[in-house]
Amino acid sequence: MENDQFKNGVKAALPIVLGYLPVGMAFGVLARTAGLTPFEAGSMSILVYAGASQFLAIEMISKGIPWGPIVIATFFINLRHLLMSSTLSLHFKGHRLRTLGLLSAQLTDESFAVAMSNPSKISNRPSYLFGIQMISQIAWVAGSVGGALFGRLVDHKEYGIPFALSSLFICLLVIQIKKVHHLWVMVIAGIFSILFKWAFPGNWYILLTGILASGIGIAIEMAGRDKK
Amino acid sequence: MLILILGMGTVTFIPRFLPMAFLTRWGLPKRVKEGLDYIPISILSAIVFPILFFNEEGTVGIRAHYILAAIPVFIFSWKVKSLWGSVLLGMLVYWGLGFVL
Repeated sequence: MENDQFKNGVKAALPIVLGYLPVGMAFGVLARTAGLTPFEAGSMSILVYAGASQFLAIEMISKGIPWGPIVIATFFINLRHLLMSSTLSLHFKGHRLRTLGLLSAQLTDESFAVAMSNPSKISNRPSYLFGIQMISQIAWVAGSVGGALFGRLVDHKEYGIPFALSSLFICLLVIQIKKVHHLWVMVIAGIFSILFKWAFPGNWYILLTGILASGIGIAIEMAGRDKK
Repeated sequence: MLILILGMGTVTFIPRFLPMAFLTRWGLPKRVKEGLDYIPISILSAIVFPILFFNEEGTVGIRAHYILAAIPVFIFSWKVKSLWGSVLLGMLVYWGLGFVL
Protein backbone atom coordinates (compact mmCIF):
# COMPACT_ATOMS: atom_id res chain seq x y z
CA MET A 1 0.00 0.00 0.00
CA GLU A 2 2.66 2.49 1.12
CA ASN A 3 4.84 1.08 -1.61
CA ASP A 4 2.16 1.57 -4.28
CA GLN A 5 1.76 5.19 -3.30
CA PHE A 6 5.48 5.76 -3.60
CA LYS A 7 5.43 4.18 -7.08
CA ASN A 8 2.45 6.28 -8.14
CA GLY A 9 4.30 9.37 -6.99
CA VAL A 10 7.33 8.37 -9.01
CA LYS A 11 5.16 7.88 -12.11
CA ALA A 12 3.45 11.24 -11.64
CA ALA A 13 6.83 12.94 -11.52
CA LEU A 14 8.40 11.45 -14.66
CA PRO A 15 7.74 14.61 -16.72
CA ILE A 16 9.81 16.49 -14.10
CA VAL A 17 12.65 14.03 -14.69
CA LEU A 18 12.60 14.92 -18.38
CA GLY A 19 13.11 18.56 -17.45
CA TYR A 20 15.54 18.12 -14.54
CA LEU A 21 18.06 15.87 -16.30
CA PRO A 22 19.12 18.41 -18.95
CA VAL A 23 18.90 21.41 -16.62
CA GLY A 24 20.89 19.48 -14.00
CA MET A 25 23.48 18.75 -16.68
CA ALA A 26 23.65 22.42 -17.58
CA PHE A 27 24.31 23.12 -13.90
CA GLY A 28 27.02 20.44 -13.79
CA VAL A 29 28.80 21.89 -16.82
CA LEU A 30 28.75 25.42 -15.39
CA ALA A 31 29.83 24.18 -11.95
CA ARG A 32 32.81 22.42 -13.53
CA THR A 33 33.71 25.55 -15.48
CA ALA A 34 33.60 27.56 -12.23
CA GLY A 35 36.10 25.12 -10.69
CA LEU A 36 33.87 22.74 -8.71
CA THR A 37 34.64 19.03 -8.83
CA PRO A 38 31.87 16.62 -9.91
CA PHE A 39 31.72 15.56 -6.24
CA GLU A 40 31.13 19.15 -5.12
CA ALA A 41 28.53 19.75 -7.82
CA GLY A 42 26.75 16.56 -6.76
CA SER A 43 26.92 17.46 -3.07
CA MET A 44 25.38 20.83 -3.77
CA SER A 45 22.53 19.17 -5.68
CA ILE A 46 21.98 16.74 -2.79
CA LEU A 47 22.24 19.17 0.13
CA VAL A 48 20.87 22.38 -1.39
CA TYR A 49 18.66 21.10 -4.24
CA ALA A 50 17.34 24.44 -5.45
CA GLY A 51 17.95 25.22 -9.11
CA ALA A 52 17.87 29.00 -9.31
CA SER A 53 20.07 29.51 -6.25
CA GLN A 54 22.56 26.85 -7.40
CA PHE A 55 22.99 28.61 -10.75
CA LEU A 56 23.39 31.95 -8.99
CA ALA A 57 25.92 30.45 -6.57
CA ILE A 58 28.02 29.19 -9.50
CA GLU A 59 27.94 32.62 -11.09
CA MET A 60 28.99 34.26 -7.81
CA ILE A 61 31.74 31.67 -7.21
CA SER A 62 33.21 32.32 -10.64
CA LYS A 63 33.28 36.03 -9.81
CA GLY A 64 35.26 35.22 -6.66
CA ILE A 65 32.52 36.27 -4.23
CA PRO A 66 32.99 34.66 -0.74
CA TRP A 67 30.53 32.22 0.81
CA GLY A 68 28.73 34.71 3.12
CA PRO A 69 26.97 36.76 0.44
CA ILE A 70 26.20 33.62 -1.56
CA VAL A 71 24.44 32.04 1.44
CA ILE A 72 22.46 35.25 2.05
CA ALA A 73 21.41 35.43 -1.61
CA THR A 74 20.37 31.77 -1.47
CA PHE A 75 18.22 32.44 1.58
CA PHE A 76 16.29 35.21 -0.14
CA ILE A 77 15.88 33.35 -3.42
CA ASN A 78 14.39 30.36 -1.65
CA LEU A 79 12.06 32.28 0.68
CA ARG A 80 9.29 31.65 -1.85
CA HIS A 81 9.15 28.08 -0.57
CA LEU A 82 7.47 29.45 2.57
CA LEU A 83 4.25 29.70 0.59
CA MET A 84 4.49 26.21 -0.89
CA SER A 85 5.38 24.66 2.44
CA SER A 86 2.39 26.43 4.04
CA THR A 87 0.06 25.11 1.35
CA LEU A 88 1.36 21.55 1.67
CA SER A 89 1.11 21.68 5.46
CA LEU A 90 -2.69 21.60 5.18
CA HIS A 91 -2.42 18.06 3.83
CA PHE A 92 -0.14 16.66 6.53
CA LYS A 93 -1.73 17.62 9.82
CA GLY A 94 -0.17 15.92 12.82
CA HIS A 95 2.40 13.86 10.91
CA ARG A 96 5.75 13.14 12.53
CA LEU A 97 8.37 15.85 12.35
CA ARG A 98 10.86 13.41 10.85
CA THR A 99 8.52 12.71 7.93
CA LEU A 100 7.78 16.40 7.49
CA GLY A 101 11.49 17.23 7.58
CA LEU A 102 12.20 14.72 4.86
CA LEU A 103 9.36 16.02 2.71
CA SER A 104 10.32 19.66 3.11
CA ALA A 105 14.00 19.05 2.35
CA GLN A 106 13.03 18.01 -1.19
CA LEU A 107 10.40 20.66 -1.87
CA THR A 108 10.79 22.41 -5.22
CA ASP A 109 8.57 24.54 -7.47
CA GLU A 110 8.12 21.64 -9.88
CA SER A 111 7.34 18.92 -7.35
CA PHE A 112 4.98 21.27 -5.50
CA ALA A 113 3.11 22.02 -8.71
CA VAL A 114 2.82 18.36 -9.69
CA ALA A 115 1.64 17.47 -6.18
CA MET A 116 -0.97 20.23 -6.25
CA SER A 117 -2.27 19.17 -9.67
CA ASN A 118 -4.18 16.53 -7.73
CA PRO A 119 -4.28 17.50 -4.04
CA SER A 120 -6.57 14.61 -3.09
CA LYS A 121 -3.72 12.23 -3.89
CA ILE A 122 -1.24 13.77 -1.47
CA SER A 123 -3.55 14.37 1.49
CA ASN A 124 -2.11 12.36 4.38
CA ARG A 125 -0.04 10.30 1.95
CA PRO A 126 3.55 11.26 2.57
CA SER A 127 4.75 8.27 0.50
CA TYR A 128 3.09 9.65 -2.63
CA LEU A 129 4.71 13.06 -2.24
CA PHE A 130 7.97 11.40 -1.28
CA GLY A 131 7.84 9.39 -4.54
CA ILE A 132 7.38 12.57 -6.59
CA GLN A 133 10.21 14.33 -4.81
CA MET A 134 12.67 11.46 -4.60
CA ILE A 135 12.69 10.67 -8.32
CA SER A 136 12.90 14.39 -9.11
CA GLN A 137 15.93 14.87 -6.89
CA ILE A 138 17.59 11.73 -8.24
CA ALA A 139 17.21 13.17 -11.75
CA TRP A 140 18.63 16.51 -10.61
CA VAL A 141 21.63 14.95 -8.89
CA ALA A 142 22.28 12.50 -11.74
CA GLY A 143 22.10 15.37 -14.23
CA SER A 144 24.47 17.55 -12.16
CA VAL A 145 27.09 14.84 -11.72
CA GLY A 146 26.72 13.68 -15.33
CA GLY A 147 27.06 17.25 -16.57
CA ALA A 148 30.14 17.87 -14.41
CA LEU A 149 31.76 14.62 -15.58
CA PHE A 150 31.08 14.68 -19.32
CA GLY A 151 28.83 17.64 -19.93
CA ARG A 152 30.48 18.93 -23.02
CA LEU A 153 29.08 16.05 -25.05
CA VAL A 154 25.52 17.35 -24.88
CA ASP A 155 24.32 20.74 -25.96
CA HIS A 156 21.55 21.63 -23.54
CA LYS A 157 20.23 24.40 -25.79
CA GLU A 158 19.26 21.92 -28.51
CA TYR A 159 16.10 19.91 -29.22
CA GLY A 160 13.67 22.14 -27.41
CA ILE A 161 15.29 21.42 -24.03
CA PRO A 162 15.09 25.08 -22.92
CA PHE A 163 11.32 24.86 -23.23
CA ALA A 164 10.81 21.53 -21.40
CA LEU A 165 10.25 22.93 -17.90
CA SER A 166 8.30 25.90 -19.29
CA SER A 167 5.89 23.47 -20.99
CA LEU A 168 5.56 21.53 -17.75
CA PHE A 169 4.66 24.72 -15.86
CA ILE A 170 2.16 25.79 -18.53
CA CYS A 171 0.34 22.46 -18.29
CA LEU A 172 0.38 22.58 -14.48
CA LEU A 173 -0.98 26.13 -14.61
CA VAL A 174 -3.83 25.04 -16.89
CA ILE A 175 -4.65 22.14 -14.56
CA GLN A 176 -5.05 24.63 -11.70
CA ILE A 177 -7.77 26.56 -13.55
CA LYS A 178 -10.83 24.93 -12.04
CA LYS A 179 -13.26 27.83 -11.88
CA VAL A 180 -13.73 31.35 -13.22
CA HIS A 181 -12.09 32.86 -10.11
CA HIS A 182 -8.91 31.02 -10.97
CA LEU A 183 -8.87 32.61 -14.42
CA TRP A 184 -9.07 36.07 -12.86
CA VAL A 185 -6.36 35.25 -10.37
CA MET A 186 -4.18 33.97 -13.22
CA VAL A 187 -4.54 37.22 -15.19
CA ILE A 188 -3.92 39.33 -12.08
CA ALA A 189 -0.93 37.23 -11.01
CA GLY A 190 0.44 37.34 -14.55
CA ILE A 191 0.36 41.15 -14.61
CA PHE A 192 1.74 41.50 -11.07
CA SER A 193 4.56 39.04 -11.68
CA ILE A 194 5.75 40.94 -14.75
CA LEU A 195 5.57 44.27 -12.89
CA PHE A 196 7.34 42.88 -9.81
CA LYS A 197 10.02 41.14 -11.79
CA TRP A 198 10.65 44.39 -13.62
CA ALA A 199 10.68 46.45 -10.40
CA PHE A 200 12.59 44.22 -7.96
CA PRO A 201 15.88 42.36 -8.28
CA GLY A 202 16.20 38.60 -7.93
CA ASN A 203 13.07 36.49 -7.75
CA TRP A 204 11.09 38.36 -5.12
CA TYR A 205 8.34 38.56 -7.72
CA ILE A 206 7.25 34.96 -7.08
CA LEU A 207 6.79 35.42 -3.32
CA LEU A 208 5.16 38.87 -3.68
CA THR A 209 2.82 37.75 -6.46
CA GLY A 210 1.92 34.60 -4.52
CA ILE A 211 0.84 36.60 -1.46
CA LEU A 212 -0.89 39.43 -3.30
CA ALA A 213 -2.69 37.44 -5.98
CA SER A 214 -4.00 34.80 -3.58
CA GLY A 215 -5.18 37.61 -1.29
CA ILE A 216 -7.05 39.15 -4.19
CA GLY A 217 -8.40 35.70 -5.10
CA ILE A 218 -9.97 35.24 -1.69
CA ALA A 219 -11.31 38.83 -1.79
CA ILE A 220 -13.00 38.18 -5.16
CA GLU A 221 -14.43 34.95 -3.82
CA MET A 222 -15.87 36.66 -0.73
CA ALA A 223 -17.28 39.53 -2.77
CA GLY A 224 -19.04 36.94 -4.92
CA ARG A 225 -20.43 35.18 -1.85
CA ASP A 226 -21.84 38.41 -0.38
CA LYS A 227 -23.88 39.03 -3.51
CA LYS A 228 -25.69 35.73 -3.19
CA MET B 1 33.31 24.95 -0.48
CA LEU B 2 31.97 22.66 2.27
CA ILE B 3 30.92 25.65 4.41
CA LEU B 4 29.27 27.22 1.38
CA ILE B 5 27.28 24.10 0.51
CA LEU B 6 26.21 23.45 4.13
CA GLY B 7 25.29 27.12 4.57
CA MET B 8 23.21 27.16 1.38
CA GLY B 9 21.59 23.88 2.39
CA THR B 10 20.64 25.19 5.82
CA VAL B 11 19.12 28.47 4.67
CA THR B 12 17.22 26.68 1.92
CA PHE B 13 15.83 24.13 4.36
CA ILE B 14 14.50 26.74 6.83
CA PRO B 15 11.70 28.27 4.71
CA ARG B 16 10.87 24.84 3.30
CA PHE B 17 10.52 23.29 6.74
CA LEU B 18 9.19 25.90 9.20
CA PRO B 19 5.65 26.27 7.81
CA MET B 20 5.36 22.51 7.39
CA ALA B 21 6.57 21.94 10.97
CA PHE B 22 4.40 24.56 12.68
CA LEU B 23 1.26 24.80 10.57
CA THR B 24 0.69 21.04 10.78
CA ARG B 25 0.47 21.55 14.54
CA TRP B 26 -1.25 24.89 15.04
CA GLY B 27 -4.54 25.34 13.23
CA LEU B 28 -4.89 28.14 10.73
CA PRO B 29 -7.68 30.74 10.55
CA LYS B 30 -10.30 29.82 7.94
CA ARG B 31 -9.57 32.90 5.84
CA VAL B 32 -5.90 32.01 5.56
CA LYS B 33 -6.70 28.42 4.64
CA GLU B 34 -9.02 29.59 1.88
CA GLY B 35 -6.34 31.98 0.71
CA LEU B 36 -3.85 29.13 0.48
CA ASP B 37 -6.16 27.56 -2.12
CA TYR B 38 -5.06 30.28 -4.50
CA ILE B 39 -1.34 29.83 -3.90
CA PRO B 40 -0.74 27.18 -6.61
CA ILE B 41 -2.43 29.19 -9.36
CA SER B 42 -0.75 32.43 -8.22
CA ILE B 43 2.71 30.93 -8.07
CA LEU B 44 2.37 29.06 -11.35
CA SER B 45 1.18 32.24 -13.09
CA ALA B 46 4.11 34.09 -11.54
CA ILE B 47 6.47 31.49 -12.98
CA VAL B 48 4.93 31.19 -16.46
CA PHE B 49 4.15 34.80 -17.47
CA PRO B 50 7.60 36.31 -16.83
CA ILE B 51 9.11 33.49 -18.94
CA LEU B 52 7.00 34.71 -21.87
CA PHE B 53 7.40 38.44 -21.38
CA PHE B 54 11.04 38.88 -20.44
CA ASN B 55 13.80 38.45 -22.97
CA GLU B 56 17.21 37.01 -22.24
CA GLU B 57 18.69 40.35 -21.24
CA GLY B 58 16.10 40.60 -18.48
CA THR B 59 14.06 43.44 -19.97
CA VAL B 60 10.29 43.41 -20.47
CA GLY B 61 9.23 42.49 -23.98
CA ILE B 62 7.53 39.91 -26.16
CA ARG B 63 9.64 36.75 -26.28
CA ALA B 64 8.26 35.50 -29.59
CA HIS B 65 9.95 32.09 -29.64
CA TYR B 66 8.55 31.22 -26.21
CA ILE B 67 5.09 32.73 -26.74
CA LEU B 68 4.60 30.96 -30.08
CA ALA B 69 5.60 27.66 -28.49
CA ALA B 70 3.44 28.34 -25.43
CA ILE B 71 0.18 28.80 -27.36
CA PRO B 72 -0.14 25.20 -28.67
CA VAL B 73 1.01 23.85 -25.30
CA PHE B 74 -1.65 25.93 -23.56
CA ILE B 75 -4.40 24.71 -25.89
CA PHE B 76 -3.22 21.10 -25.73
CA SER B 77 -3.04 21.19 -21.91
CA TRP B 78 -6.54 22.61 -21.84
CA LYS B 79 -7.96 19.78 -23.99
CA VAL B 80 -5.76 16.90 -22.82
CA LYS B 81 -4.52 17.30 -19.29
CA SER B 82 -1.33 15.35 -19.90
CA LEU B 83 2.00 16.48 -18.47
CA TRP B 84 3.99 14.18 -20.72
CA GLY B 85 2.12 15.25 -23.83
CA SER B 86 2.56 18.92 -23.01
CA VAL B 87 6.28 18.64 -22.33
CA LEU B 88 6.95 16.66 -25.53
CA LEU B 89 4.74 18.93 -27.64
CA GLY B 90 6.38 22.02 -26.16
CA MET B 91 9.87 20.75 -26.88
CA LEU B 92 8.92 19.72 -30.42
CA VAL B 93 7.28 23.05 -31.27
CA TYR B 94 10.11 25.05 -29.70
CA TRP B 95 12.66 23.01 -31.61
CA GLY B 96 10.73 23.37 -34.88
CA LEU B 97 10.38 27.12 -34.42
CA GLY B 98 14.15 27.31 -34.07
CA PHE B 99 14.45 26.54 -37.79
CA VAL B 100 11.89 29.16 -38.81
CA LEU B 101 12.62 32.12 -36.53
